[in-house]
Amino acid sequence: MRVGLLPTDRGGSYRFVIVLLAILGILVSALPVVVVTIMSFSAAETSGFPPDSYSLRWYGEVARLFTNEDSSSAQSVVDSMVTSLVVALIVMVVATGVCIPLAYALARGQRRVREGMELLFTLPLVFPLVMLGIAFLLIAESLALELGIWRIVIPHIALVLPFVLRNCLSAMNGISVELEEAAISLGASPMRAIWDVVIPLMKAGILAGLIFALIISFNEFTITFFMYTIDVSTLPIWMYSRTVSSLDPSTLALSVFIIAADVLLIVLVDKLIAGKGNLF
Amino acid sequence: MSETHLTIEGVSKSFGDVRALSNIDLKVDRGAFVCLLGPSGCGKTTLLRIIAGFEQATSGKLLLDGADITDLAPHKRGFGMVFQSLALFPHMSVAENIAYGLKLRKASRVEQKDRVEELLNVIELPHIADRPVSALSGGQRQRVAIARALAIQPKLFLLDEPLSALDAKLRDNMQIELRRLQQSFGVTTVLVTHDQTEAMMLADELVVLSDGVIQQAAPPSQVYQSPVNPFVADFIGSANILPAVSTSQSTLGLLGVDTGVSVEHAPGSTLQAAVRSEAISLRKVESGGTGIVSFARDLGPVTEWLVQAEGHEIRVRGASSAVSPTVGDQVSLQFDQDRISVFAS
Amino acid sequence: MSTTTLSKGQALAFAAPAFIAILPFLAACVYILRFSLSAEQGVIEGFSIRAYQDLMTPFFGRSVWLTLKLAFIATVVVMFMAVPLAFLLTSLRGSFARRLLTVTILLPLILNLLVQAYGWILLLGPSGALNTVLKSLGLIERPLFLLFNETGVLLGLIQTSLPLAVFPIVSAVRGISNEHLEVASSLGASNWRILRDVSLPLLRPALVGAASIVFAFNASAFAIPLLLGGRRVQMMGVAIRDMISPLFNWSGAAAAGMILILLTLFVLVVSAWLVRVTTVKTKG
Repeated sequence: MRVGLLPTDRGGSYRFVIVLLAILGILVSALPVVVVTIMSFSAAETSGFPPDSYSLRWYGEVARLFTNEDSSSAQSVVDSMVTSLVVALIVMVVATGVCIPLAYALARGQRRVREGMELLFTLPLVFPLVMLGIAFLLIAESLALELGIWRIVIPHIALVLPFVLRNCLSAMNGISVELEEAAISLGASPMRAIWDVVIPLMKAGILAGLIFALIISFNEFTITFFMYTIDVSTLPIWMYSRTVSSLDPSTLALSVFIIAADVLLIVLVDKLIAGKGNLF
Repeated sequence: MSETHLTIEGVSKSFGDVRALSNIDLKVDRGAFVCLLGPSGCGKTTLLRIIAGFEQATSGKLLLDGADITDLAPHKRGFGMVFQSLALFPHMSVAENIAYGLKLRKASRVEQKDRVEELLNVIELPHIADRPVSALSGGQRQRVAIARALAIQPKLFLLDEPLSALDAKLRDNMQIELRRLQQSFGVTTVLVTHDQTEAMMLADELVVLSDGVIQQAAPPSQVYQSPVNPFVADFIGSANILPAVSTSQSTLGLLGVDTGVSVEHAPGSTLQAAVRSEAISLRKVESGGTGIVSFARDLGPVTEWLVQAEGHEIRVRGASSAVSPTVGDQVSLQFDQDRISVFAS
Repeated sequence: MSTTTLSKGQALAFAAPAFIAILPFLAACVYILRFSLSAEQGVIEGFSIRAYQDLMTPFFGRSVWLTLKLAFIATVVVMFMAVPLAFLLTSLRGSFARRLLTVTILLPLILNLLVQAYGWILLLGPSGALNTVLKSLGLIERPLFLLFNETGVLLGLIQTSLPLAVFPIVSAVRGISNEHLEVASSLGASNWRILRDVSLPLLRPALVGAASIVFAFNASAFAIPLLLGGRRVQMMGVAIRDMISPLFNWSGAAAAGMILILLTLFVLVVSAWLVRVTTVKTKG
């Protein structure tokens, strides 16, 4: 008999309980997303489940939202969408750009320094998001800073740093100093050795970090909820303002697009770091 | 006869409070194959890394053809190096690995291609240019790493335990191969190893290091035949280190036997003698022997015995024969006079 | 000095951009601390602990209690599902199945919280999926009220924090050699015994670490109680928001925030200490 944490045969009550709990976990994880997807195809105005009939009318609604500039709402979905994407792209590039040299310095530096730094850069992960939102809002308001789009970008960067750094660090872990020394012995300057050897070998981790930053920033709600203004607002905020009183099925159709994009990107990250790192 | 290529002058190295190398002086002749040999932690790798420029000596100087290179950046030294892990670039093909140093030297594509082809022929792997490094066997990786270092026509060829990861048989072949390559390129070579057989096989000059100090630097046969101290005698070919005395006739008394070897030390002084196991022969006696055989094993061409004598355990090796002593036999020991090394204790 | 290890100056130069990027975050932390000690409610002015004293009300006490209670229950439930999920994830052979499960579990952490809130609203609402199913099975006659109360918030917390527990446990499970289990089995241990005597003790550091992160995450939740609890479930995150708008009590919000931060840090530090103590014990 094969022994394992999840025995394939002769598992008895053990296997039954483990599988049952796992299925429960999968249901809790997946059901909301599944229901949103099903309801987006409903033909009805109400949110009764299951829908009486199915249609693509809410997807048509979304298309109309994007094509007809609607001046009735304070900010159009197109503007929010563009802001969301621009913010996410800046966050992604800046966060990864600063994390690559940091990961290099930490991997090649002293162990004690490295542990301290890792702790510092993990802080945003455990810091209550509400407090971050409030604190950034307070600073921006009391200093009367005219930050434009950066009032959302700056907090988002802090938020994604832990994820990006972790990916870059685990990519650095596998790169031995001897590889750099080999390049140097062949005539490469230390910077050239980093460029020719370290960066290409970090590529998967860097890409994973980029994508992580992109999805987290694009989906972020809490901090943005405090920081948004009439001029600078993101897609999640637009969705919130639209559904604050009642659920609008066209928002569900929009949600399905977001779900699909996220799933695609997560699969990509998972492929990039398959077997090497951990997701976070 | 031969000119000095690399000179190491009074090099010391400390890591914090730990002294890794003390006042190393060494001259390496042009085209010579030098092996730095010693137990782990003796400082041999540190010395190699100082030569390569990856470590900065705390004090002392490095001269190459008389020019001071102590402070020259490692990438400007032009020394080819083979690392313990080989450090082949995993994201490049075999050809790209070998051509990397040439690319940095701005060699044309044609030059690069010709040189890669030439080197692949030299290492007798002409058809692997486009393979990824991960598809190579251990021995092939070894050769590619050597080819990559030699491609830049290095002024010095440095190797840090390059063969330690190979199995015994492959290592044997690679030693011969390495020696052949070194001689055909005529490149001055420094190799670090902890394996004394490997060092004996490869070196023109053997440098035995221990505790950050050079114990002996001489051709291998000289190090083997006349070790300068008990450490070297024991480390190279494991000798029996035995307490001895200088007799009243100024000869060496060993285990109560007068060996007849004359010594310069004053009569009565306590000494140490190193005797190789093959420099002792055993004779079975009925009574009054020097020792008793406690262990015997037939290794085929030779037999190895352990003999208990005067409270010491002595290792003896000799030709197998039908009349060989066996366990429990009383034996008398005879020492080959020419192969005893004597040290003041 | 080895040339391939970085000098202090180089290391600083390499780390500098990242420091600049995290500086606003650190400034925000300091700012909150300073504001919580302000004598005025609306601006930073003088030093006083009045904001903290003003929090000593039954209302805020209930909020703290509710926060701890919901975070604790959610953590326990999450741990009971996370360990089996980690076992399942590591024992899947096919890469498609593994990837599908990974995405399913990870998605709730990353996906726009609004989308998930919509999902729960559609699931748990009076005419939602769950009530429809239960009614058609004849188990209930009137719809259950699951939304805009603690049940809904709890489910949302469990869903969004589950991945935070599963993935650290997965990497710990990968570190367990199958030989350990085989030895136990060859000595006659049943599956349950192996779980109790071998697997769980080996996983203990990862379990404690995962549970503490899940707890900290849930205690500081904001969007889920806001969207699924309405005004009725005043977890600390929501209570703090209400101090700012409509009440404009900035220093009070900062003080309440500091308490929330200290609470989560306390949990994390204690659990880190717990991990250290227990691992030393098993090594000795």
